[in-house]
Amino acid sequence: MNGTEPFKIPPEAAFATTYDVAIVGSGVSGALIAKTLGALGLKVLVVEAGPGEDVTIGEYTKSVERFYSAVSKDNNAPYAHSRNAPMPRDYDAVKLRDSQPNDRGYLVQNGPFEIDSTYSRVLGGTTRHWEAKALRMLPDDFRMQSAFGRGRDWPVTYDALAPDYGRAERELGVSGNVEDQRYGGLTFEDGYVYPMKRMPPSFLDKTMAKDLDGFEVKVGEQTFALNVRSTPQARNGIPNPAYDGGKGFTPTGAVSIHQAEMGGRCQGNTNCVPICPVQAKYDARRTLLAAMDTGNVHLLARTVAFRVEVDGTTGRVTGITCKTYADKDAPGHVTGMLQARIFVLAANAVENARLMLASDLHGSSKLMGRNLMDHAYLLTWGLMPQVVGTGRGPLCTSGIEDIRTGNYRQHHAAVRFSIHNDGWGWATGAPYTDLAELVDARNLTGAALRRGLIDRVGRQLLLDCMIEVLPEETNRISVDPRHLDQLGNPRPVVSFHIPDYTLETAAFSRRLTRQIYQRLGAEDHTRYDPLAPGWVSHDGEGFTLRGGNHWAGTHIMGTEARTSVVDATQKSWDHGNLYLAGAGSMPSIGTANTTLTLAALCLRTADAIAAELSPGLATASVSTHCQEIPA
Amino acid sequence: MTPEQTQADLLPGFLAISSVLTGFSEHALRGTGQTELYLATACEMVGDDSMRMMLGAFSACDIGDDTEAMGRHMRLCILSHARFGPLARNLIKLWYIGTWHCMPRDWHEAFGGNPADRDHIPSPTSYTEGLLWPAIGANPPGAKPFGYGMWANPPRVTRA
Amino acid sequence: MSLHRITDLAGLHRHLHAAMQLEHATIPPYLTALYSIMPGTNTEAFDIIRAVAVEEMLHLTLVGNLLNAVGGTPDLTVHGFVASYPAMLPDGEEDFAVDCQRFSPEAISTFLRIERPADLDHGEKGGRTITRKKARGTVKAGHVGPETEEHFFSIGEFYKAIEDGLDRLHADMGEALFCGNPASQIGPEYYYSGGGGLIAVTDLASAKAALDLIAEQGEGVTDTIFDEDGEIAHYYRFQQLLLGRYYRAGDARDKPTGGPVPVDWKAVYPIKTNARLDDFTKGSDLREAALEFNSTYAIFLARLTCAFQGAPEEFIPAVGDMFHIKELFHRLMRQSIRGTEGLNGAPTFEIDRLKDDPE
Repeated sequence: MNGTEPFKIPPEAAFATTYDVAIVGSGVSGALIAKTLGALGLKVLVVEAGPGEDVTIGEYTKSVERFYSAVSKDNNAPYAHSRNAPMPRDYDAVKLRDSQPNDRGYLVQNGPFEIDSTYSRVLGGTTRHWEAKALRMLPDDFRMQSAFGRGRDWPVTYDALAPDYGRAERELGVSGNVEDQRYGGLTFEDGYVYPMKRMPPSFLDKTMAKDLDGFEVKVGEQTFALNVRSTPQARNGIPNPAYDGGKGFTPTGAVSIHQAEMGGRCQGNTNCVPICPVQAKYDARRTLLAAMDTGNVHLLARTVAFRVEVDGTTGRVTGITCKTYADKDAPGHVTGMLQARIFVLAANAVENARLMLASDLHGSSKLMGRNLMDHAYLLTWGLMPQVVGTGRGPLCTSGIEDIRTGNYRQHHAAVRFSIHNDGWGWATGAPYTDLAELVDARNLTGAALRRGLIDRVGRQLLLDCMIEVLPEETNRISVDPRHLDQLGNPRPVVSFHIPDYTLETAAFSRRLTRQIYQRLGAEDHTRYDPLAPGWVSHDGEGFTLRGGNHWAGTHIMGTEARTSVVDATQKSWDHGNLYLAGAGSMPSIGTANTTLTLAALCLRTADAIAAELSPGLATASVSTHCQEIPA
Repeated sequence: MTPEQTQADLLPGFLAISSVLTGFSEHALRGTGQTELYLATACEMVGDDSMRMMLGAFSACDIGDDTEAMGRHMRLCILSHARFGPLARNLIKLWYIGTWHCMPRDWHEAFGGNPADRDHIPSPTSYTEGLLWPAIGANPPGAKPFGYGMWANPPRVTRA
Repeated sequence: MSLHRITDLAGLHRHLHAAMQLEHATIPPYLTALYSIMPGTNTEAFDIIRAVAVEEMLHLTLVGNLLNAVGGTPDLTVHGFVASYPAMLPDGEEDFAVDCQRFSPEAISTFLRIERPADLDHGEKGGRTITRKKARGTVKAGHVGPETEEHFFSIGEFYKAIEDGLDRLHADMGEALFCGNPASQIGPEYYYSGGGGLIAVTDLASAKAALDLIAEQGEGVTDTIFDEDGEIAHYYRFQQLLLGRYYRAGDARDKPTGGPVPVDWKAVYPIKTNARLDDFTKGSDLREAALEFNSTYAIFLARLTCAFQGAPEEFIPAVGDMFHIKELFHRLMRQSIRGTEGLNGAPTFEIDRLKDDPE
């Protein structure tokens, strides 16, 4: 592209070019679409709000060191925070009092539930800090309304999406074992294997499995046998020679615009969230740099989309006004207009909705920003009867999946459980809080302190209960001109409550995990603080629920403009040349984190865009919905 | 004396008390590469005089290898001492997790020290060299991994 | 210098044993320089040296696979397998020794000599650089025996001799040459990186693929900066540290035009070059730690041997040992040696001494 350095495109050059496709957001959605289209020869611009660093090993190391040096090691601690493109921090979530909104962080929290979910506005988006679990959603998750009379059906079935799940598993590089994923109606193509073999289960997993496997549990009318199963994850393991009909799989390691040889297999740094120091974990920079390698993709960083401009007659997007800043913190920016034949918003479920609403584009369904979902996590924790060596390995290597679906979903939400190799940290701030207690309260020093720590930390088990939340229109992102960021962009306002459907499963999960601890002979140390943000009560029992950073639903997908925002290809019903990509399109989130599913969706979207722009080039894996409005 | 000279002078005592407080040998402490930095950090935050006085109290009686007597000496003369106790506990945490915690406000009011005292990690390596993790046979999250699949093995450390 | 042709299977085995030794001989110097870098500094340099060291491990394993494939028995525990540093890697009239030393311009210059592409040698003149006459195959190789002390113009030629020998034996014996147990091969599932993975050797084609990979990664037969997979040869990789810049595709030799490679030669532990146990006071913690290092390293070599001798799955814990070894490196390198002017300890790699002179 005129010999321009793809990473150093001057804003004025970018704004002066009419691209085939302009993509807002360099996260997994945008990167996958950019890579697919760039490979087909289409000219693509990717716009990133964050500083756009971390394309060399040196820069990546700076992020790792920023994490090392951070006293508060929250999930955005490693990343360069920019005042011109601020991001939410989990510690900004505080208990709301007297219905007063909390606007101390980037998100404005309206409540009633205080959500501590975040996202990252950096190159590669929130995949920078994701844990990289790569579970598929279950067939039932796609037909919630028809199967259980709850939530919404997708306009796509599991079977239709299954090939795209396979493509996504290749793009993300998933390690897993298909045999461990046979439950809840999950099906795989005959002979399918994951690109890499499963992560070896931890000693803790194996210790638990010994006593837990086969535990029969009655949920509603059905009885399920629980089993510890390996968790598929987008982390480099041992390539499976049987993959792809025996062709095998070549993992991608660390990425850098210079040479980079690190980033082979997972080494067990126990830090998937917030940063893998050796880049064994997939993050979207991998896809983004591959997109750049096509020679057809430009990156414009430090550029925040400000307003989507629409032709009032045709509804088509005529451009996206952006603000480009030079210094990440100092005020000051230049304004420009993105020009392209097709526009893709891939800035995550919160930011996509925020941008549309800030542009007064509520959609003919008025659903823009509504149906906000995230997983509700109930954490439970205990001490195993023996030292299990907590604090080793990837954060989670196994989980309990057997009750991810069942007829009980007519009445209450689905749930799955992860076994944490990293101890109680998420729930209690361990091991720091343990050290403080042993030193300050138990007055231990020297060898006694060492013994005390082994006993207190080395036995820790944390089971997280990941609970489904269904779409409700009152759970929403909105904007409010009273709350602007430094660039003058409206900040996202979050209104969220936890539905009873979900709370019922929180109570169920607490009961079940108590039984699990009893079966393991583990000391149950779970307790919830009524003064903590996220405190909810249900039938007289109180819990603290935590967010999962799985924002979804805000531009919900459906079969018609009246009741949804985008179609099955993530194309806007109202704007013929606009796609809203990512988890915001999902009509349900089941009990899988959203990344693998949204990656599958975005690969279909890329196909649809390619079919539209260069018919014949695209791989025809999707029957694209054609509702082109003549310009 | 320059601050460097003062601290070089305090180094042996600092290592000795750190070893008793943490339960790690002086060799292991030196192996973290953090000794000088930690002494400098502590001195900067609490003042050389508090450090010097604490080390003086620590070495006031010659206890030798009697761990029980040493434990009693530590409790009576250091850990329960209004000036030295909070500092000693801070040193344990500094060695264990690499974080210097701001001394309590009443401590500063009573004994002075640096008004700019604050929670901080003296260097990125201070975190990765935290002794908490080797103490329990784990790795500090984000560093010093054991290698692929090693997490499937029984723990290396089950007792101190 | 004469080249003893490989005429029988025993000759091929001897060559492959020697090749394993010479691949291993680079690892202690590379690791010593690598881990002397203070954590968090010299990140580009760390990555460059680490990448080469990891590939030397790959080469060592490839040669082990080859030896296994032709019915040999790799053994990294035999007396003399680990070189004694400074190790003389004779080089024509002017020898140079390979030291275990801190990350420094001197260390990198030595690494450049080790990795020098064959065709560069012909062009080099004068006293500073040296015409390479012997290969690392001539590292004193106790168990190989003096009759195999052959001398090659370059590493590339050493491997060429192996390949020729392989061809000749294959012409005589056919695929019967590959009489080793295929189950002993350490396959691609056990190692990979940006620079290619392990190859199980079961026939002539895979044997040649393994030799090609070693050669391509910078053992001195290619004359290009990047190989066909876009991977940079070791020599040029190291040269970037002295030139301060990354090479990129299309660059001419000695004139990299990529991004900067900043180097801080001072952010390094001041370790003693070629430290020996005798440098550390008997009974001192430092000496104990050095002994612990050596026994851990011996365990690592024993585990690799076990992996080669029929238990390939042992390769994974052997890699785990490497992580532990890194911690032991750092612990030694942060201790000052009593009686020296500010010199710190370092591993001594006196592995045989554990057996000869147990303390």
